Amino acid sequence: MIEPPERSHARDTLIDQILPHVPAFGWTKAALRRAGGEAAIAHFPGGGPELVEAYLDLMDRRMVESAAPLIADQRVPRRVRMLIEARLEISAPYKQAVRRAALLLALPANTAVAARCTARTVDAIWHAAGERSADFSWYTKRAILAGLYSATLLFWLNESATQETTLAFLDRRLDGVARLGKVTGRLRQGLWARALSPAR
Amino acid sequence: MTLPGDVSDAARVAQMIRVDHAGEYGAKRIYAGQIAVLGSGPKGDVLRHMQAQEQVHLDTFSALIAKRRVRPTALLPLWHVAGYALGAVTAAMGERAAMACTVAVEEAIDEHYRAQTEELGPDEAELSRTIETFRAEELEHRDIGLAHEAELTPGYRVLSAFIKAGCRVAIAVSERV
Repeated sequence: MIEPPERSHARDTLIDQILPHVPAFGWTKAALRRAGGEAAIAHFPGGGPELVEAYLDLMDRRMVESAAPLIADQRVPRRVRMLIEARLEISAPYKQAVRRAALLLALPANTAVAARCTARTVDAIWHAAGERSADFSWYTKRAILAGLYSATLLFWLNESATQETTLAFLDRRLDGVARLGKVTGRLRQGLWARALSPAR
Repeated sequence: MTLPGDVSDAARVAQMIRVDHAGEYGAKRIYAGQIAVLGSGPKGDVLRHMQAQEQVHLDTFSALIAKRRVRPTALLPLWHVAGYALGAVTAAMGERAAMACTVAVEEAIDEHYRAQTEELGPDEAELSRTIETFRAEELEHRDIGLAHEAELTPGYRVLSAFIKAGCRVAIAVSERV
């Protein structure tokens, strides 16, 4: 797991308080001042990117909390879907803030933060879904989910997208991944195994 | 004082688990390579015994990777091939060379595990105990290698130094990448 940003009750509270101000002021110190006064600035000296990172980390935790009781009996792909569904539900009241966050992370200067945040989110989803691999699929699983999650999020950010259409979009992506898994599985059993069997 | 490149305690422990997992993965692959060549010979059972122990070590570290959410090294595919190749090549050089390879690798691992247990604080006593147990078994493998005439390999010192240097590089890289 990538080390989380500093987690504290004070920071979590400030993130909750800043959300209503973000549509008008963006992820800025101005919004932070409106949320928690001058004292709030000291909690996020890095300004925008630090605020967004703390926000996304908080959402990761809430997503896992809210989905955890529901997913126990499900299979792993279903759990992934339910976690993303929970994430969208939590974020729905603040769509404008999410859009602002995505825009900020899209700036070239924030590439590292963006990568960190995405990695943390997909790691949270896989871990909550009960995925426990320690081989190279650790990477491929996260890469696939990062693509799938980002695409779903961008779809959801569209003005016209609703919860239902977004989930339908997600289901189509998940179907695609499942098909990919079947094809690679068949390949591995066939050609691949024959070519490399002495070395496996 | 914190210097650039220094990491927090939690990140340091994660590095240790990452590199140990990589090491046991590589060890298992080395024995797999040796067994592919010598498995049906007189040394087959000894090699299989050692490989079985490495498998237990690997399973333990795999579980730790999952439990403590450590990222495994991105170089696993490399160790998959390199470990197997090292095992197969030394085995092809003869039974003694295969045992010399074991001795060199296990000595490097012993050194590495000892440094780790010294670095780990009392709050990581359980991990420290695990590593200590594994270290004892790695030393047993070294002794098995020595008992099977590893040192009589032609060019033993060169071969051993070469393999140990490789292990040290692999350890340094696998901690971070």
